[in-house]
Amino acid sequence: MSETNVVAVAGIAKRFAGHVAVEDLSLQVPKGAVYGLLGPNGAGKTTTIRMIMNITIPDEGTIELFGDRLGGRHHSARIGYLPEERGLYRKMRVRDMLVFLAEAKGVERARGGAKADEWLRRLDLAEWGPRKVEELSKGMQQKVQFIGTMLHEPELLILDEPFSGLDPINQQVLRDIVVHLSRSGTTIIFSTHQMDVAEKICDHVCIIARGRKVLDGGLAEVKRVHGGTHVAVAFEDGAAGAEAMRAIADLVAAADDSGVFAELKLKEGVDPQLVLERLMKTGARIRRFERIEPSLNRIFLDKAGPGAADTASPEVAHA
Amino acid sequence: MRKVWAVIRREFIERVRSKWFLVSTILGPVFMICVTVLPSVLMTRSGKVNQIVLVDEDAGNFAARLQTQLQGSGRFAVTLVEANSDGYDAVRDSLTRAIRSEAIDGFLTVSSATVESGVAEYRGRNVSSLRDMGTMESLLRQSVVTERLTRRGVDPAAVQEAQRGIDLRTLRVTKNGATGESGMVTFFLGYAVGIVLYMVILIYGINVMRSVLEEKQTRIIEVLVSSLRPFQLMVGKVIGVGGVGLFQFGIWALTGYLIMHFLAQILAFLHVPAGQASAITMPAISGTLLAVVAVYFVLGFLLYSALFAVVGATVTADSEAQQAQQPVMMLLVFSLIVSFAALNDPGGQLAIVTSMIPFSSPIIMPVRVATSDVPASQLALSLVISAASSLLVVWLSARVYRIGILMYGKRPNLKELWRWARQS
Repeated sequence: MSETNVVAVAGIAKRFAGHVAVEDLSLQVPKGAVYGLLGPNGAGKTTTIRMIMNITIPDEGTIELFGDRLGGRHHSARIGYLPEERGLYRKMRVRDMLVFLAEAKGVERARGGAKADEWLRRLDLAEWGPRKVEELSKGMQQKVQFIGTMLHEPELLILDEPFSGLDPINQQVLRDIVVHLSRSGTTIIFSTHQMDVAEKICDHVCIIARGRKVLDGGLAEVKRVHGGTHVAVAFEDGAAGAEAMRAIADLVAAADDSGVFAELKLKEGVDPQLVLERLMKTGARIRRFERIEPSLNRIFLDKAGPGAADTASPEVAHA
Repeated sequence: MRKVWAVIRREFIERVRSKWFLVSTILGPVFMICVTVLPSVLMTRSGKVNQIVLVDEDAGNFAARLQTQLQGSGRFAVTLVEANSDGYDAVRDSLTRAIRSEAIDGFLTVSSATVESGVAEYRGRNVSSLRDMGTMESLLRQSVVTERLTRRGVDPAAVQEAQRGIDLRTLRVTKNGATGESGMVTFFLGYAVGIVLYMVILIYGINVMRSVLEEKQTRIIEVLVSSLRPFQLMVGKVIGVGGVGLFQFGIWALTGYLIMHFLAQILAFLHVPAGQASAITMPAISGTLLAVVAVYFVLGFLLYSALFAVVGATVTADSEAQQAQQPVMMLLVFSLIVSFAALNDPGGQLAIVTSMIPFSSPIIMPVRVATSDVPASQLALSLVISAASSLLVVWLSARVYRIGILMYGKRPNLKELWRWARQS
């Protein structure tokens, strides 16, 4: 693999007693990408990340990091990792804890301390530095742990479900940091099942379901290749909306109906204009009618949802 | 190396900062002071003279002689009261009342039959004072014996001389000649060495276990093993915790030395008379003994903390750890029990063999060194075996640890543990 791919996974598999966690999974993460590893709970996201991090060893396949196979621990100084299971030493002081995490990555003590102070200030935690970890709220602990992954200025940041359990304000704070790091050249891999978040910040995605890859590629290509005609409809009230939806049921292939808002995939060859005409006839008051690209959520539901066939062959969209 | 150092520093600093460390470090010397100084302080405090009445029921000369004996001991102030058998009941009642009103501590009745039968009666408030009763009994015995022999025509002076006490002084002889230490002091030194090593190895071994378990429970282990090799982590942890143990040990040794050195001043400060103070003999703790104890602490701690680390790595919950640590604890407890036997016969077969076995040698060998002269060849052999097996156990443990720390759920059995150890 060339150096343009920071991570290159080829045909890895991991089986635990009784079940297959990951099967024949391949993916490439280009340098500088914000790479979303998407999938429902239990799809194998965390297992994949652990294998990339050299915490568990794949039964089959190879993993290259930065163009070689020396493994995650060898490159640990270049990688920041936020595991899914969060944990800090409860009795330690916040600043000491951060300095220790930096030292474990090989950062000099004084430099680690300066970095920790800088980040604590940035995330409004400066006054918590001398306090014990156990005195912090859960959200604060998560921010502290997030800081811990960045103190050594890694080139590659791997975040397993980084936004789960955070309130919207803190989610925004962390998202801003991810975007900022990405702009300054850090490659970021993160797993999530929140498609709206992924849609906003990823430029590459990989959807995994039941341990297998069902789709990967650049976000724009994925949307283009996914195909079909998609429209978004919004009604002023739910009851009339429901009636209107029934009137167009024969034109729709799949609907993601949330009551007053619906995202529709139209059947092959159906003109959106026809759909609008029928909707108008029902007399329902329409707030919005728009031809759209399929949302990541729609694609995700198609590919990994309960309707998706087990044997779905991976649909690959490379630029 | 910097990473291992970071782990060592973290384990050391966090522990030394804890309240637990502060409390136990202070309690150590307090305990030492209690053991060394308190007995002599208490001895002076309880040195009160018992006010007793000696009731003489036709015992004649014997009563008078007994009175002198009791007075001479300095522990009794004796008033002699004569009572014939008719008036005895009245006398007894009034004396019993006197005891109740705390005018006297008690009364001893001797009769003409006492000399033949050896039976006398003491009633008092202080019958539970073993020391006073012991003194009274031995004085009574002396007087009775003297009286019996005198009646058979033996010269009282000769009897007196024959009864002079015996004092068997047991002195420990080492290659360097007599040490001036008594057997009792040596025994207690060995006993203390065994107990202290047992406790320190146990406490700090369990500390390692808890530390491993904490990292597993908080899942911080995932971040750590993606940065450091599990072996580095385990070694850093063992050295860091062991360092705290040695540090505490050092503080205790230093304060112990200071207490010994300034014992006279401390006792004077507590108003203990010089005579009492000089009665306290302290074992001379040689530099060799300290060195042996320190070396075996390090070896024993390495061995046991590696085992405790495995226990911590193979369990998920505290309650499981309680159970899983039993086999390791048994090894330690067994060593301590054997050390008591070794105290009585430090050169015996049992002591020699167990001071060679890796799991018991860290406790038995220092006990032997404290109580006897251990041949240098035996010491060297034990050290080699101990060091080699400690390294082997650490190596094996690290292999199990490496896999265990990332495993959650069912506890592995011995067969699985062995498989983990063999996995590359």
